[in-house]
Amino acid sequence: MGLSFLAPAFLLGLAALAVPILVHLTQRQRKDVVEFPSLMFLERIPYRSVRRQRIRHWMLFLIRCLAIVLLAAAFSRPFLDRPDPPLALGATAREVVILVDRSYSMGYGERWADAGAAVRRVVGELGPEDRATLIAFDEAAVEVVPATTDRGRILAALDTLAPGSRTTRYAPALQLAGRILAASQRPRREAVLVSDLQRRGWGAAEGAKLPAGAALVPVVVGAGDDAGNAMVAAVTFRREPDGRAERVTATARVVNGGDSPVRGLAVALELEGREVQSRRVDVEARGAASVVFDPFILAGGGTWGTVRIARDALPADDAHHFTLAPGQAIPVLVLEGPEPGSSLYVRRALSIGEAPGFRVEARPAGWFRTSELDDKAVVVLNDAPFPTGGTGLRLREWIEEGGGLIVALGEASRVTDDAAALLPGRFGPPVDREGAALGRIDYGHPIFEPFALPRSGDLTAARFYRTRPIEPADSARVLARFDDGAPALVEGRYGRGRVLLWASSFDAFWNDLALQPVFLPFVHRLARHAAGHAESRPSYTVGQALDLDGWWEAAGRAQATAPGAVVVRTPSGRRIEVGTGGAEGAAAAESADGEMAGAGGGRVGGAAGAAARLIELLEQGFYEIREGGRGDGAARVVAVNVDLAESDLARLDAEELVAAATAPGATAAGEETAELGPAERERQQRWWWYLLAGALGLLAVEPVLANRLSRAGA
Amino acid sequence: MRRAVADPGARFIDPTALARIGNLELIARTVVDGFVAGLHRSPYLGLSLDFAEYRAYMPGDDVRRVDWRLYARTDRYYVKEYEAETNADFMAVLDVSRSMGYGSGGITKLDYARYLAATLACFSHRQRDRVGLIAFDDEVVERVPASARNYEVVLDAIGRLEAGRRGSLAGPLRRAAESLGRRGIVVVVSDFYEEPESAVAAVRQLRARGGDVIVFHVLDPAEIELPFDRAATFRDLESGEAIPVIPTELRAQYRALVEAHTASLARLFAAEGIDYTLVSTASPLDHVLFGYLAARQKLMRVR
Repeated sequence: MGLSFLAPAFLLGLAALAVPILVHLTQRQRKDVVEFPSLMFLERIPYRSVRRQRIRHWMLFLIRCLAIVLLAAAFSRPFLDRPDPPLALGATAREVVILVDRSYSMGYGERWADAGAAVRRVVGELGPEDRATLIAFDEAAVEVVPATTDRGRILAALDTLAPGSRTTRYAPALQLAGRILAASQRPRREAVLVSDLQRRGWGAAEGAKLPAGAALVPVVVGAGDDAGNAMVAAVTFRREPDGRAERVTATARVVNGGDSPVRGLAVALELEGREVQSRRVDVEARGAASVVFDPFILAGGGTWGTVRIARDALPADDAHHFTLAPGQAIPVLVLEGPEPGSSLYVRRALSIGEAPGFRVEARPAGWFRTSELDDKAVVVLNDAPFPTGGTGLRLREWIEEGGGLIVALGEASRVTDDAAALLPGRFGPPVDREGAALGRIDYGHPIFEPFALPRSGDLTAARFYRTRPIEPADSARVLARFDDGAPALVEGRYGRGRVLLWASSFDAFWNDLALQPVFLPFVHRLARHAAGHAESRPSYTVGQALDLDGWWEAAGRAQATAPGAVVVRTPSGRRIEVGTGGAEGAAAAESADGEMAGAGGGRVGGAAGAAARLIELLEQGFYEIREGGRGDGAARVVAVNVDLAESDLARLDAEELVAAATAPGATAAGEETAELGPAERERQQRWWWYLLAGALGLLAVEPVLANRLSRAGA
Repeated sequence: MRRAVADPGARFIDPTALARIGNLELIARTVVDGFVAGLHRSPYLGLSLDFAEYRAYMPGDDVRRVDWRLYARTDRYYVKEYEAETNADFMAVLDVSRSMGYGSGGITKLDYARYLAATLACFSHRQRDRVGLIAFDDEVVERVPASARNYEVVLDAIGRLEAGRRGSLAGPLRRAAESLGRRGIVVVVSDFYEEPESAVAAVRQLRARGGDVIVFHVLDPAEIELPFDRAATFRDLESGEAIPVIPTELRAQYRALVEAHTASLARLFAAEGIDYTLVSTASPLDHVLFGYLAARQKLMRVR
């Protein structure tokens, strides 16, 4: 062990020591010249030249000399030359991490084949002491083959990989590679990135960097291919009631991402696997076109389908899958009181609705027949007495089974004691008011949530001139109150159904709410909530998580309670059993194994202690979800499409990526510090920092001391 | 423009100094009888109405000056002598050697000497004295004979004086003495960078014709105190010789040498009956004149 210097040439700086010596010896014979009338007297004084040659201000002199010595030493980078640890490996042994992009854009043309060839070439160039790791990545990175010198194992694993359905993100892959390379003691470390280098996959802000000394070697595939790319960007549906069914008009939006126009592109609509319609469309370069299909009738339990264009270089975005849940229009029965036209506003408001629409029927309460409840989701009892006798009993049963009842209190509102238990509160006789307004509103409730934001509808603008006082039941929830604190809207649950009690009528006699702009959305929200309506999405995007319970509830009111166990079949045909409680863990583990194998599919997880059961949708296509432990129940379908952001094939400059993801001078440093790790090397050389700090400290003290001595001398 | 240059030397006369000295004259006239006349009362005896003394008749004396009344009382011949209230020659002798060009403050020794000479010349001119000028360094470089009409010429010559070459005293003052005409007042202004004995010997020559010599030894405060802090190379203005000096180390000895030098000069000049005044260029000019005039009055009283 000895002291050595990285840059010994800087020790020549010690020659600068002569400067303070000369300064301190000769500073008194400086250039200052004083013109004096006569030296007659000065010449008579014996001249003590000895004083000139003696160093004055020893402290200052030493500080200056020491500062120079420290500066020279700091720049020469001293370090203790410890004997290097014995290494079994040669100086050229490499740690190679092969990163293979398997996002769906790699399915474009021959890119995947080129990527495979590139990986094989890299593996073929590995030396006997070289070690390689195979990482497949899209949005996430998976270590497919851990560090090994077995080339055959890497090549075998490579054959199992295929482009998936997800998008590109380089940061997770580079971070994983960085961890592997940082842990390696091999003298040469490099990451080989085999990718089509899509620009959208790189976010500099993610800060993915390889460790110092590691090199990044990008291998760009598909550099010259430009066969264009058309895609189905979106499919929208217009649903109109047609008797008891719905008429659905599908409109597909086709985008041409290429630089040349596409003529006569075939666009087909498939329903439940069968092509039902086909169109041809011309799409300009970098343009889009809409294709409107003939309406089809949606009846029964809904359907699923695909809009597909002719296969091109990138097949993944050539199809858009969707599902159409049945019965999107909410059937509403309005029972009105004796006042003619009292339900005009509420009927008109509900007849305007879309997504979901409402199918409204209205009749006097006296004409109500229990058979009408079978296909209804909501009953509005507007200024009408609660049905009595068998009719009332049936209505109560219907609510208990999941029906929704909205009671708007008016002059004719009456309720029997039996039926009173159904309501969320007792109401009294009408009370005249002088323009009361809604005061306190529970904006956290689903009914009022859309009105919470500013300029989203002012419910307090309505004036109420007559209301009925409500005494809420203990189990009831008051959703809105008048400005004097009296309940205005009260909600109660009865069995599986909901009952909403509104303290005033829906006509324009007791209040002017029906004349306010907020009336329509308010009535829609009331009806949707009473019906227990949940949105049903036509499709999901790869990477999204499906909340099984919420989805099940949205899929159909009749099965509002999700089954205890379901079997999920992925588009690639894998089975995933999703149980309850402890079964989830087993299912998740099984899924994770599948993911490790690179097959993709779905991951199942649940927050600890929570009831939510989630399926991560990792494949494009249709997921089949069957209830029952054995998966032999009725199947429901979830459509999953790729994220079209990946279809943007713009490339990232390879040099830009290398510059951003590697430390400056990484390769050179890696070669120089072949025997020692960078951390150890830095630790041995860190003395320079202390020396420099010491020098700077002395230089800071020097002027202070010099000034003080100068003043003292004066 | 001509008016501006008509009296170029006037710019050296500090009006404040003149005004204050004018007041001084008034004070002196009030307090001491005949002080104004005594500003430059001549020690020379001559024809005048003012009796001075009797002396024994000597062959060659004008018989008309014999006091016959005294002869009647004492039976001896005495001649009556009177103090002369005459117009005298005022001659300013200025040292313009290079060393006189030194000034540590806003004024050089030569400037100060100019003010001093011009002021004295102005006073003398008011007294209707004849005013002249001799400037010298190593030799006489400017000479204006004393004349009642030369006042403006003298001031003009004073205004044009510049510090030039090395200086000496003996040679130029000898030539100055030779050029002096009648007895009068000779004011010598110099920094006297010579040995006291040689300096006094040189000045003594100016008394050869019986004139009254007044010496102003002008020094800059820096020459007296050596106030410098930093070590530096000191270069002689006249010889160009340079030596490194640490003023802080030498100051005390230097001051002692200067003090000894001026003390020697004062002593030797006093011995010769020459009025010697050490003047610092930091001293106000009128103060110096006041001191000088007071000293002159005292000198006249002694006589």
